[in-house]
Amino acid sequence: MGTLKYLKKYWFFAVLAPLCMIGEVFMDLVLPKLMAQIVDEGVLDQNISIIVHTGLRMLGCTALGGIFGVLSGAFTNLAGQNYGNDLRKKLYDKIISLSFEQTDKFTTGSLITRLTNDVTAMQDFINFALRGFARSGFMFVGGIIMLLSLNVEYGKITAIVLPLQLFVIIFFMKKIAPAFMIVQNKLDKVNSVMLENVTGARVVKAYVKEEYEKERFENANDELLDINLHVMKTMAIISPIMMILMNVAVVFIIYIGGLQVLAQNIQVGEIMAAINYITMILNSIMMVNMIFRSITRAKASAERINQVMNTEPVIKDGKGFDDEAKNKKYCIEFENVSFSYRDSKGKPIIDNFNLKIKHGERVAILGATGSGKTSLVNLMPRFYDVTSGSIKVEGIDVRDYKLKELRDKIAVIMQKSELYSGSVSDNIKMGKEDAAKEEVIAAAKIAQADDFITSFENGYETMVTEKGSSLSGGQKQRISIARALIRKPEILIFDDATSALDLATEAKLHKALNSELKGATVIMIVQRVASVLDCDRIVVIDNGTVAADGTHEELLKTSKIYMDIYNSQLQILKKQL
Amino acid sequence: METKHMQNKPPVNLMGGPGRGRGRGPVMINEKPKQAGKTLKRLIKYIWYSKGLFIALMIVMLIITVLNLAIPAIQGSAIDCLSPAVTGGIVDFDLFLKLLIFLIVLHIANSVSTYLQGIFSAKLSQLTVKKMRSDLFAKIVYLPIKYFDTHRHGDIMSRMTNDVENISNTVSQSISSVISSILTLIGTFIIMLFYSPILTGVSLVSMGLTLLVTKVLTKYMRKFFIRQQVLLGSLNAHAEETITGNKTISAYMLEEKEKDKFNDISDELKKYSIKAQILGGSMGPIMNFISNFGYLLIAAVGGGLAWNGIITIGTIQVFLIYTKQFARPINEIANQFAQIQTAAAGAERVFEIMDTESELQIEGDRVNIRGNISFKNVVFSYNKDEPVIRNFNLEVQAGQKIALVGATGSGKTTIVNLLTGFYDIDDGEILIDGINIKNISKKKLRENIAMVLQDTVLFNDTISKNISYGKDNAKIVDIKNAAHTANADIFIERLPDGYDTELSEGGSNLSQGERQLLSIARAVLKNPQILILDEATSNVDTRTELHIQKAMIKLMSNRTSIIIAHRLSTIRDADLIVVLDKGVIAETGNHDELMKNKGCYYNLYTTQFAGKEI
Repeated sequence: MGTLKYLKKYWFFAVLAPLCMIGEVFMDLVLPKLMAQIVDEGVLDQNISIIVHTGLRMLGCTALGGIFGVLSGAFTNLAGQNYGNDLRKKLYDKIISLSFEQTDKFTTGSLITRLTNDVTAMQDFINFALRGFARSGFMFVGGIIMLLSLNVEYGKITAIVLPLQLFVIIFFMKKIAPAFMIVQNKLDKVNSVMLENVTGARVVKAYVKEEYEKERFENANDELLDINLHVMKTMAIISPIMMILMNVAVVFIIYIGGLQVLAQNIQVGEIMAAINYITMILNSIMMVNMIFRSITRAKASAERINQVMNTEPVIKDGKGFDDEAKNKKYCIEFENVSFSYRDSKGKPIIDNFNLKIKHGERVAILGATGSGKTSLVNLMPRFYDVTSGSIKVEGIDVRDYKLKELRDKIAVIMQKSELYSGSVSDNIKMGKEDAAKEEVIAAAKIAQADDFITSFENGYETMVTEKGSSLSGGQKQRISIARALIRKPEILIFDDATSALDLATEAKLHKALNSELKGATVIMIVQRVASVLDCDRIVVIDNGTVAADGTHEELLKTSKIYMDIYNSQLQILKKQL
Repeated sequence: METKHMQNKPPVNLMGGPGRGRGRGPVMINEKPKQAGKTLKRLIKYIWYSKGLFIALMIVMLIITVLNLAIPAIQGSAIDCLSPAVTGGIVDFDLFLKLLIFLIVLHIANSVSTYLQGIFSAKLSQLTVKKMRSDLFAKIVYLPIKYFDTHRHGDIMSRMTNDVENISNTVSQSISSVISSILTLIGTFIIMLFYSPILTGVSLVSMGLTLLVTKVLTKYMRKFFIRQQVLLGSLNAHAEETITGNKTISAYMLEEKEKDKFNDISDELKKYSIKAQILGGSMGPIMNFISNFGYLLIAAVGGGLAWNGIITIGTIQVFLIYTKQFARPINEIANQFAQIQTAAAGAERVFEIMDTESELQIEGDRVNIRGNISFKNVVFSYNKDEPVIRNFNLEVQAGQKIALVGATGSGKTTIVNLLTGFYDIDDGEILIDGINIKNISKKKLRENIAMVLQDTVLFNDTISKNISYGKDNAKIVDIKNAAHTANADIFIERLPDGYDTELSEGGSNLSQGERQLLSIARAVLKNPQILILDEATSNVDTRTELHIQKAMIKLMSNRTSIIIAHRLSTIRDADLIVVLDKGVIAETGNHDELMKNKGCYYNLYTTQFAGKEI
């Protein structure tokens, strides 16, 4: 279990916890003797001073044992919680650094379960290991020593019963172990139905599917119930078997003891003591049952955590380059770029794509739904890497850039605006953390967002509700645009990011961009021909490759596809004119 | 509590509580009033749903308790057989053997009962939690949209998972052990009373002390346990938000910043967990001390009584054994305390959702909606002080095609939210076929409306299941026809598994435009009386849109349609165009009338197309 290495830092606590446990167990072993003394010597002999003295010693021992117990618990918690905290942080660090195809593969729901449930399971395991293992271990050793010191004969019974108990535990645990993984997977499923319903509530309601969703959830819930019950029922057998083995052993001890008493070899008191010790030993074996259960659970969780931990982000920092190697002739060059999503069969989404874009150029990219526009955008800031060919920014392959440098250069405004809990200003500042208030307002002004933001009662400090639900689609898009603009990027990519803006607002946005963002290279993916007319060049993509490239006028003459697109929009209009 | 809290506050400030915003450093949590007793009662009510099982479990535990009380006594008698002090030197080996055999029988009975107890308590806990999870889900499904718009999804999730999980653990482990402890306590108490009422009174002293300490500690501990669960909720919310919004995080290289934030919450959680657990862990030793103190008290008082001849020495001996036995269940209860506290804190959060008011469900008449819609003096605000819709009046005849036009943020989507009953209006009324929608069941209302939204929602299921979402048992032919109408068939058939292709979480393996086509197909198949298209084709390219357009026109005939689009071209042939400006109607009329008026619409239209040749 590689995840255990995070405990190393807290070895001090991890060592102290069982050490204190020794103190607690020791007191537990001493106490019965003192108690017997109170009865035998104090009460029976009518000796009040023995009662008081031994009583005080007993209370002292209890207090001492209690302090050891609390300390052991405290150290265990310090080790366990710190361990869990570190593991959680490391795991989060890993998850957030994963590339998209990896996040897609795990699914976000499962990643969250791993981050919470599985980490908690590991933490519980550590807690249990430091206290429970230690306690039963010391009890076991202490009990055996005490028992054998009484009479070696008793050892025989232990020698027979112990292996039997171990066998039972191992047998059943082996049977259950695979089920634990299934439990986690079924839990994943229950969670994913929940997540879908929480995030997709609008559609569920609009289609009056509440009952259907309830049923779907019931199914997932039932499956979880079944597997959980299966595990618990199997577990329920273990305890009684262990008990009967243990108790029969006790009866035999009494029997053997009885024979010895008959033979005048020992006193009755010794039998009592022997019963105490063997109960202690066998109880500690019962704990092994718990230990195994927790190991099995922890193993399943550790495996799920390790699956994530061992995933190397596919997209890593490049090796860097000399500044002199830069070739400023073109800003962006696509050379024979092909790309297909992993696991997808058939034709690649981007297929032998070639395009050169100069500094300060404004290029519009048009194409049908599913023609590969968004995939193209994903390749430039390296959300995904090309399957073959290369993309160069200023003559350097994007894969050679340090990610930070590359992504600082390129700002992408996504189709789907992602807003976060926090204020409007916080959301814009995500683009530049140390931005001054003036910068935020300036960016919002260019993005045509200032007007509506200032119309809010709290202006820029207005809190954004869950995923921006209180804002309209166009407002969300403009906040995302402001977020990109605030970093003054050299390359600005709009991935259909103005789709929810009315054309008047979009026109204003273009005008502002023209005057405020001189020199920046702009790539716009759009649907409307009207919004591309300001661009220097229009590139039409079809089936993942360049179908046409030129100005509006040129394309009208040369490109059939462009004509089609143009006409489709004109037609919609003309029809009614 | 939460609902009340919600109504008083504008949604823009609602992050599930003041000050829980991003960028405000460590998370601050508002303490909620605690009602431990009430929460516990409700939990017990849940357990009571499986009362048959619960009673069976009680019976089995009673048997186990009796056996556990009897076994030491018989074991004692067996040993007494060997003790010269009792037997007077003659050992009755026969009786000794008989007692031993009897012991084994009792042990077997005990093991069988324990097995049954294990089965019963597993079933009880799983059924209880299943019921709770089902109820919670059933509740969530019927919560008003407002709830989802104003609460962090990750936190809702955490309540459904972490908190319910904790309750499950408690029911399966703690309840059994607490009940068995209580039964043992009662049994022991009766036996003690039988031996000596005076000494029993003495042992009550330590019992009272135990209760007092428990009460004080619990009160103190609750705070930490609730905080622990609340922090767990924020942690989940943060994780959910950043993992699903991963693209922006990557694009802006904000990993470090988000990590710091996550670490802050995580550290805070650790801090409170350690405090809570250590406090919880100290219960056991404290109880142990008290119980040993009780032991000593009995020995001293008992000794005194014996020397005065009030009780016999033997009574003290027996009594001390039972005093020790008395201590064990108390210890056990104390040990379960931390677990129960966590569960109670979690249960409180679960019940908080359950107490949120559901969407009002009216069993309205089975009216057949024809599609006449009228808005009368409608006023609405998300935030009390900022009306989004002001004095809105509109009459729509059945079968008409209405277009809502206006600048971004002028309130178009809000009108849709109101018509579908997602939000309730502040003033005025909305009538459908002359009936106030407040008096139409939401189910009936929505069954007659199909909407295609800007943000598409797809489910982790096959494509055909996603299309037939609005119509149960749809035939595959109908599904394919709907897909064809929406022009989605082309890309679907290109997929390796066609209509049986499983969509990954939220349809992330499709492009935004393809997702929109699927949701259009979904609306087509539903075939409703009222159709709402809210920027339904914003991510679809115009050629595809042109293809759909014909189908859309067909789809819109014979039904009332409300279209929101900023592409004015797509709405020109609407029967009525409503131009919205800051929540009020600026103009209405058809395209030609509005163009003649040279008002807002004319301006919008000309800024869009003038000088663009299109």
